[in-house]
Amino acid sequence: MEYISNYQYYTNNGNIPEDTNWGSYQYLSLKDVVNNFMLFDVGADKLVDNVPRYEVIYHAKRAIQELNYDALKNIKVVDMEVGDNLKFILPADYVNYVRMSILTDGCLTVINENRQANSSNAYLQDNNNDFLFDLDGQIITGQSALDIKRLEQSQYFGPGDYCGSYGWLYDDSWYFRYQLIGFRDDDKDGPTFRINNGVIDFTSGARNRTIVLEYISDGMENGDESLMTVNKMAEEFIYAYISYSILSRKVGIPEYQVKRLRDKKTAMWRNAKIRMSNLHPARIAMRMNNRFQNR
Amino acid sequence: MINTVRNAVLTILSKDNRGYVTPEEFNLMAKQAQVDLFEQMFYSYSSAIVKRNARIYNTGHANIPETMEIDIDGFIVNDTLQYNAPTETFFLPGTNPANPTQPTLYKITDMLYNNNIEVEKVNYTKLNSLLNSNFMAPNVTRPIYSLNNDGIKVYPDIIVSGMTINYIRNPKDPKWTYSVLSNGEPLFNQSASDYQDFELPESDFPKIVAKILQYAGLSIRENDVVQLVNQEEMQNNQQKQ
Repeated sequence: MEYISNYQYYTNNGNIPEDTNWGSYQYLSLKDVVNNFMLFDVGADKLVDNVPRYEVIYHAKRAIQELNYDALKNIKVVDMEVGDNLKFILPADYVNYVRMSILTDGCLTVINENRQANSSNAYLQDNNNDFLFDLDGQIITGQSALDIKRLEQSQYFGPGDYCGSYGWLYDDSWYFRYQLIGFRDDDKDGPTFRINNGVIDFTSGARNRTIVLEYISDGMENGDESLMTVNKMAEEFIYAYISYSILSRKVGIPEYQVKRLRDKKTAMWRNAKIRMSNLHPARIAMRMNNRFQNR
Repeated sequence: MINTVRNAVLTILSKDNRGYVTPEEFNLMAKQAQVDLFEQMFYSYSSAIVKRNARIYNTGHANIPETMEIDIDGFIVNDTLQYNAPTETFFLPGTNPANPTQPTLYKITDMLYNNNIEVEKVNYTKLNSLLNSNFMAPNVTRPIYSLNNDGIKVYPDIIVSGMTINYIRNPKDPKWTYSVLSNGEPLFNQSASDYQDFELPESDFPKIVAKILQYAGLSIRENDVVQLVNQEEMQNNQQKQ
């Protein structure tokens, strides 16, 4: 991409939205990455020769995915109110979560994942407990007893602050807000969640609360290649990754060349991770100074 | 150059009274010679690249592949592709009946969509996998094309215009045109409307003469001429190696 003027950078040449170019200098587009690679790394006198452009694009996209999983700091944040169904549908570009928090009076409190089941599929059964099938031979599913129980609460009229509240009576004890069914070991620290089948299932304490999800994507921008970018700090890694990926799959390439490229890719990967971790001596010194001053 | 070539050919052939080549025969042999040498140009270029990578060639004026590149670049044409709706393909250059003067295609160099998006050729062996790939399926920002019997098929198929092509065209058929004198002798006429000179570089003059002599030798059943030309060709090749 050509360099743009300051006017274009700050105001998008007066067009709406004017923030289009803000921060864009940090990034290199997928198109630029591929063009640069085809120009400077592919040729009769280069290690990589006779490679179709789509193959380079494939490896460039894979490299961007790898970077997004581990090295980049491009964490996306989304918040959403959890309804009565205690579910939160995962964002369309979700790959993995970084942190889940609950918003309470302007403060974010981290909530934990609980790996015990709190939601399940249910197979419909007849009176003899045999499974029911449809005309195509597929088993018929319905709402599970666990889900029904998780969502159904009874009103408590006993003594104490919780009189009139909705909760569950379990083993002669009442469990209310922040107290849940299915996760009895963790219920003291607020709601928990479990990710399953494209949704996040929360425990009852999350009902009608705002949940903030921080997650990572794979940088594929819903398949729009014109929006795919990579941070310049990781540019050299991308080229090394593409070269290695192409040559390691080709026949007749001497193993020492493959090894050389693998080593380079690994070194560039480390470099990218270190660079992206923002470990600057000045920042470390500043933190250390603060630490000493606070003593 | 064509008149000089013809004179050279006739001079060599008639020196020992080996026969006469008519203008029509000469034009046929000239066309064949040009096609042969044009084809050979790409093989020579390819082996020159190999030698350059092996550091056999030097830089500057001794950079032989670069000189060859200039010769080949002279045949590159930039044109717009026309869509053929019934077959849902674009016409290959030179096959559109509505544009009979368009030069015919020898080899596609590159293709662009909307003047700045490169359209890449994909072989049939990979085409279906690519079209069915969620990760790599072609789109308007990264279109692809394949060649078939009907022409050039571009994917995604919503692209029906805005395609430009850079291609190497076939050389035009050389034609030595003439007017007939009163004694029946043909006189070279460069201003005839269908006159066409050789399109190969001047440096190929000896090769063109040798090729035509080779065909002429076969035509007039003069084994000596054929052998002589073959010997010269071998010597030429050895010198270049």
